Amino acid sequence: MTPATVNPPLLEVRAASIQFGGLKALTGFNLEIRQGDLKGLIGPNGAGKTTAFNVLTGVYRPTSGDVFVAGQRVNGKLPHQINRLGLARTFQNIRLFKQLSAVDNVKVACLADSRPLVSAERVAALRRRGSALARLGQMLDATNNYYDWWRALLLTPGFLREEEAVTRRADELLEVMGLAHRRDEEAASLPYGEQRRLEIARALGTRPRVLLLDEPAAGMNTREKSDLMVLIRKLRDQFSLGLLVIEHDMKLVMGICEQITVLDHGETIAYGTPEAVRADPKVVEAYLGEAQPAAAAGASR
Amino acid sequence: MGAASAKTMPYWARGLAPLLGALAVLAMLQWIFGPMHFFVYLSSLVGVNVILAVSLNVVNGMTGQFSIGHAGFMAVGAYLSGLFSLAVKELNIRGLPATLSDQLLLLAAIGVGGVAAAACGFLVGLPSLRLKGDYLAIVTLGFGEIIRVVVQNTETLGGALGLSGIPQRSSFYMVWLWVFVTVLVARRIAGSSHGRSLWAIREDEVAAEAMGVDTTGYKVRSFVVSSFFAGVAGALFAHFVPIINPGSFTFVKSMEVVVMVVAGGLGSTTGAIVAAVCLTLLPEGMRSLFLRLGGEDASLAQKVDQIRMPIYGLLLVLLMLVRPQGLFGTREAWDVLPKWLSRRGPALKGPVA
Amino acid sequence: MSDFVQHIINGLASGTIYALVALGYTMVYGVLKLINFAHGDVMMVGVYLGYGTAFQLGRGSQSSFLGVLLIFLVAMAGCALLGFVIERFAYRPLREKPRLTALITAIGISFALSYGFQLDWVAHLGSASVTLLPGAAPRAFPEIIKPTEWLVFGDRDVVVWNWQVISLGIAVALMVGLQLLVFKTRFGSAMRAVSFDHRTAALMGIPTDRVIATTFMLGSALAAGAGLLYAIKDTAVQPLMGTYVGLKAFVAAVIGGIGHVPGAVVGALLLGLCEEFVVGYTSSSWRDAVAFGFLIAVLLVRPEGLFGRAVAEKV
Repeated sequence: MTPATVNPPLLEVRAASIQFGGLKALTGFNLEIRQGDLKGLIGPNGAGKTTAFNVLTGVYRPTSGDVFVAGQRVNGKLPHQINRLGLARTFQNIRLFKQLSAVDNVKVACLADSRPLVSAERVAALRRRGSALARLGQMLDATNNYYDWWRALLLTPGFLREEEAVTRRADELLEVMGLAHRRDEEAASLPYGEQRRLEIARALGTRPRVLLLDEPAAGMNTREKSDLMVLIRKLRDQFSLGLLVIEHDMKLVMGICEQITVLDHGETIAYGTPEAVRADPKVVEAYLGEAQPAAAAGASR
Repeated sequence: MGAASAKTMPYWARGLAPLLGALAVLAMLQWIFGPMHFFVYLSSLVGVNVILAVSLNVVNGMTGQFSIGHAGFMAVGAYLSGLFSLAVKELNIRGLPATLSDQLLLLAAIGVGGVAAAACGFLVGLPSLRLKGDYLAIVTLGFGEIIRVVVQNTETLGGALGLSGIPQRSSFYMVWLWVFVTVLVARRIAGSSHGRSLWAIREDEVAAEAMGVDTTGYKVRSFVVSSFFAGVAGALFAHFVPIINPGSFTFVKSMEVVVMVVAGGLGSTTGAIVAAVCLTLLPEGMRSLFLRLGGEDASLAQKVDQIRMPIYGLLLVLLMLVRPQGLFGTREAWDVLPKWLSRRGPALKGPVA
Repeated sequence: MSDFVQHIINGLASGTIYALVALGYTMVYGVLKLINFAHGDVMMVGVYLGYGTAFQLGRGSQSSFLGVLLIFLVAMAGCALLGFVIERFAYRPLREKPRLTALITAIGISFALSYGFQLDWVAHLGSASVTLLPGAAPRAFPEIIKPTEWLVFGDRDVVVWNWQVISLGIAVALMVGLQLLVFKTRFGSAMRAVSFDHRTAALMGIPTDRVIATTFMLGSALAAGAGLLYAIKDTAVQPLMGTYVGLKAFVAAVIGGIGHVPGAVVGALLLGLCEEFVVGYTSSSWRDAVAFGFLIAVLLVRPEGLFGRAVAEKV
């Protein structure tokens, strides 16, 4: 494995816990995702898997513990800020922008950061000359976020180029996810499996370095599932991602994940390779109560 | 204009080309229609309502928030620009002919009204950080009412009697120029990443936030843009009616604009325009028709105003039951409007959620 | 000092009336998660029904006990019917639609009622003429309960009127009754089930449509009663009265935490007091700004209201 200095963790969770009233939804959750990782998060219904996602992405603020994204502590940051640091997700109960076309769904996510008004090089050049203009340039940049609508209003060349680039990128992502033929169709009208893939395309639009997939295979048939397995691996390599997948389908999780975390009642009861997890008696018990150990592995449905 | 010549133009000229074209066309129309007083008055009313409807559509249609206090922003624009104009009534910019100086001062007054309203929009937009749907609606309603009560109790604003003597500097030209600017801005926002972000917020706030859209920031900004143009509409209004009083900016006025936006289709700029034009001309037309008929029917002219409101109410209910997406839904009437008006926005289909 | 006490009494008195209207808002919101904007206007219709009944009864019998009872009964029954019709034909078809649609419908109904009643339509049937719509002019509400001083302190420093005591009594009785209804009866459990999740409730065999319709009728009847008390105090009826009283009652319900029965009452009393003090110490022209200022302040600090629970959206 590559040493940590070369491949630093992109997402790191240290002992994150969250409580709702008296209910401990997540206790002492630890996780590390580096580029190229493909990890799984499993557990029975209500084990706290989606809660964990919500803590990571900033929907909930952890009661204790820390979350780091790209080396920055993100406790208390807003979801969109965390997303900009390179963490994207999909939703268990599909949350597409229903009335927008497929391509527009992706384009929303591809939104370009407002371009700096004064380029960084120019600011640096001005600073070298010790000019007060450099400070002014920086100040302008800082507020540009709030008034850069003027570019859209005047149709500046930069804006037009950006729009073209966004459209091109959205089309590429649709192509990758095999949705190019649905480009202009309303998101809500797509079949279930395609909606799930569109969610992934949309998440990729934000240029994530870590992608969290919440039950990407739910509602898919066997064929679609095996296609998805191939696709997820391909995405990891093509976009140099780190991936964390919540999934109920054991075959899929065991098939693609290199490391698996098992949650039960908000606590991590096992962590390790698929083989180790499969053999862990605590996992078997959590899933099946007192039933036969072998069933856990075979429980593909 | 040919594609080649468009390529050689500097970008700002290309971006502003529609505006420059509109300036020329409007100048011609002004020359033709300027002397027809009733026409100018009626078209100004229509224009103000179009500005109001199109700007409200930015918040209610594109962003999916529900504001029912648009008249409050209009009032802020009307009163502050009115005060400004009263203050500079006798002023003449040196070295300029009187008409030009007047028009420049009017522009300044409109700017004052718009910016003041935008500032209020920022203040009202802030609660939208925490409030959703019905609650936000109530806060905007409350804001409108508070503005009205404040105006009624302020001597310098004329109190309940109203503010009179504002120089009548508005013209057909000025009103429709602003109509054009409003529509252009609304459409170009819609065709940009900003517009897509607003649409995303309307569709699913949680998902928009997760996709990196600064939802609170965008909501506040949409409020600011929307209220700026409401302020502009108010400022224009103040400069062509003889007197402005709190009665012109009540909940009823807000509702009128809401009806226009809903009837036109939440999210559709062209829908808002069509609905605003129809719903302004219809009552006015009926009134003048009854007046023209004279005799016993003249009393009917009065009734038009009375019956307009209950009909608006029933119209809303009927629309929601039968056609909740309004006239155009979220689509635009592209067959009607020329292509160069804006780049095409997201291809939206289907009914309002 | 006596001024101060008098303001408290007057504030509580107008607060109790807001409370009665606010209860209707809160009940409907509780089961449907819908702000019934038309609630205040339903109240206005009730007041006109009461006015008409009193007019028919004539000066003699309208202030007798039976007369007053009849006036209240007609107004409340009429409003219950109106509430039923509105729910059945305007809200029910939209129940599965986005909430915005229902909100717009509610605003539309409110508009149609308050401005429709400003028309003066009179039908002529032979020699008799029947007033269909009353017109915009305010009318004097008959003195069905003659205002008398119930308690007088000092040299008329502080006066408590009989109608103030009556409305307080009625408001408290209704609040207790409502609380019992919601928490002690089978219908109450059905209401709470519908409030929690009306689809699941329907699957459990609860007749959701009937529960919701009944809640609407109850709320509307309450509004009619409250409206009559308001008219007795204000001695006037006019078509726009519902809009303002309704909005203020709504504000009261939000302040208390919408959907929360005792909260609505507390909010209404607070609002009544606030208004009374502002009007008493500044000018009555500020009255309408108080409610909204108060509302915005509460929503900014504690959007769920004083007693409400914050509900996070499930992701």
